[in-house]
Amino acid sequence: MMTRARMAESNGSVPADRQMGVAPDLKSLQELLYRLITAAEGVEEGLAAERMLPEGGLDAIIVGDERLSARERVEIYANAYFYRVLDVLKEDFPATLGVVGETNFHNLITSYLIEYPPTEPGIQHAGRHLPGFVRTHPLRERWPFIADLARLERCTIEVFHGPDVEPLGAAAMRAVAPDDWPGIRLRTHPNLRILELDWRVDMVLRAVADGEPWKEPARERVAIMVWRRDLKVQYRELERGECAALTLAQNGAAFAAMCDAIVAEVGEDEDAPAQISRLVGRWLGEDVLVREKPWPARADAAS
Amino acid sequence: MKRSDFPFLGFGVGLRRCHYGQVIEGRPRMDWFEVISENFMVEGGRPIEVLERVREHYPVVMHGVSLSIGSTDPLNRKYLKELAELAERCEPAWISDHLCWTSIGGHNLHDLIPLPYSEEAVTHTAGRIRQVQEYLGRHILIENVSSHMAFRHSTLTEWEFLSAVAEEADCGILLDINNIFVSAFNHRFEAETYIDAVPAERVVQFHLAGHQDHGKYLLDTHDNPVREEVWRLYERAVRRFGAVSALIEWDDNIPDFSELQAAAVEARRLCQSASGDDDAGAHGGIERVGAG
Repeated sequence: MMTRARMAESNGSVPADRQMGVAPDLKSLQELLYRLITAAEGVEEGLAAERMLPEGGLDAIIVGDERLSARERVEIYANAYFYRVLDVLKEDFPATLGVVGETNFHNLITSYLIEYPPTEPGIQHAGRHLPGFVRTHPLRERWPFIADLARLERCTIEVFHGPDVEPLGAAAMRAVAPDDWPGIRLRTHPNLRILELDWRVDMVLRAVADGEPWKEPARERVAIMVWRRDLKVQYRELERGECAALTLAQNGAAFAAMCDAIVAEVGEDEDAPAQISRLVGRWLGEDVLVREKPWPARADAAS
Repeated sequence: MKRSDFPFLGFGVGLRRCHYGQVIEGRPRMDWFEVISENFMVEGGRPIEVLERVREHYPVVMHGVSLSIGSTDPLNRKYLKELAELAERCEPAWISDHLCWTSIGGHNLHDLIPLPYSEEAVTHTAGRIRQVQEYLGRHILIENVSSHMAFRHSTLTEWEFLSAVAEEADCGILLDINNIFVSAFNHRFEAETYIDAVPAERVVQFHLAGHQDHGKYLLDTHDNPVREEVWRLYERAVRRFGAVSALIEWDDNIPDFSELQAAAVEARRLCQSASGDDDAGAHGGIERVGAG
């Protein structure tokens, strides 16, 4: 937990030899207000940490009256800042919220915002660092799976906003001559993510999304694919053979190399070709692949 | 720049997520929509699809919250580039943001913090608005924010500040009637004085919204119907400015779309009544709401 001294150092940029005047320059004023609005312990504590205020303190800078003092006026903005970000993060991490509860989530975000104050114009980015922050948070002692859960939730947000790219469809694959199949190059859709997790938190997320009671997830190594189809974010456990093949395809891969990766996982037995065919059909149906150049000219003309 | 450089759009509402389906599928009667720019400054997905489909059938304006025009940080070029790309995609009638600052030291408060009303702030902010307008290749509108802080070293009134910035930047004004009412209560000035002082030829749009009464202060929350006092202030504004494109802004506790439509219809009715012109604001969309 950051101490007040650390807060003052990390947030302040006022030189020690320049005390603020009653008509502070715009930059100094904005920096002061930022420190006060984001002070973790509140505006009053933030003021106590300020060493450069003019004589008369905040009252010398901001007009207060019998209704609201200068400090109370700044507190309105301090509350607005925290609760606006908190409300957005509650929406972005509903399962994490559901698991740890309101009070713990509130305290989690309070400490999160000290370490990771928002830096992007879009508030949808405010939770970008929360999964990593949770990884070393004391909440993990009670809920050891919570970091994986936050990571999965954050991933769904990023995939939701990801780029639109035309997926490779079954017709386009069928138009490729069999002889050309080994050489065609495939790539996973830029919106596809593969998360290797230690806990079956996908079950927790699904239960919360369905409004069902959630159960403690099994501690089980799992690869979860998160992607978007028909504008909806989806996620599922990857089967044997999928993870290696799709991981290869994330950087573009020859189809033959993807098949080799599947065989390496399922073993060289008579089921491998059937497994490959079934997986390819599944990927095409789920819109998780895109074409990678060069694509056979004959197939392009046919499709 | 003058108001006649911009089209008169009529009476619109903010496009909100809970109404996406209804607007896209139902195509309800509405003159225009205002979108929050940052919600659509994404790479793709449903937000973009919604925006494109709405834009097929309705005029749209882009209203931002993170331009941070009054900040002493450098202008965010990445943000401006994304803003320009969004404008190219949806061809808004205009682009607006707020006369305030939202970020400093590279950190964003996600709130609209008021500026001191000083000559330093006028020069600084107007200069940045001119840069933004040059980058975007168009005049933008700047909205007056509601505020809870006033600075002792301010040398201008808020309306003098707004007017001075708009004149020096040669930009338009989005006059938020509810914000004037809220700030007038919070800082004890006469809202009517504000309405009477703003340069008429620069006012391109009105916002109308609700707020919360916390006793000692009003909070601009956009989560309630427009209050009667704000409607009266709007009428005063219409008598002064004539028919100006007006938008019902509702961001939280959002009601059914029909309630927003009703508010837009009321805005149009009051516009006609206050201007004494039955054709004032006559438009193809909202005037027929309620007729089936």
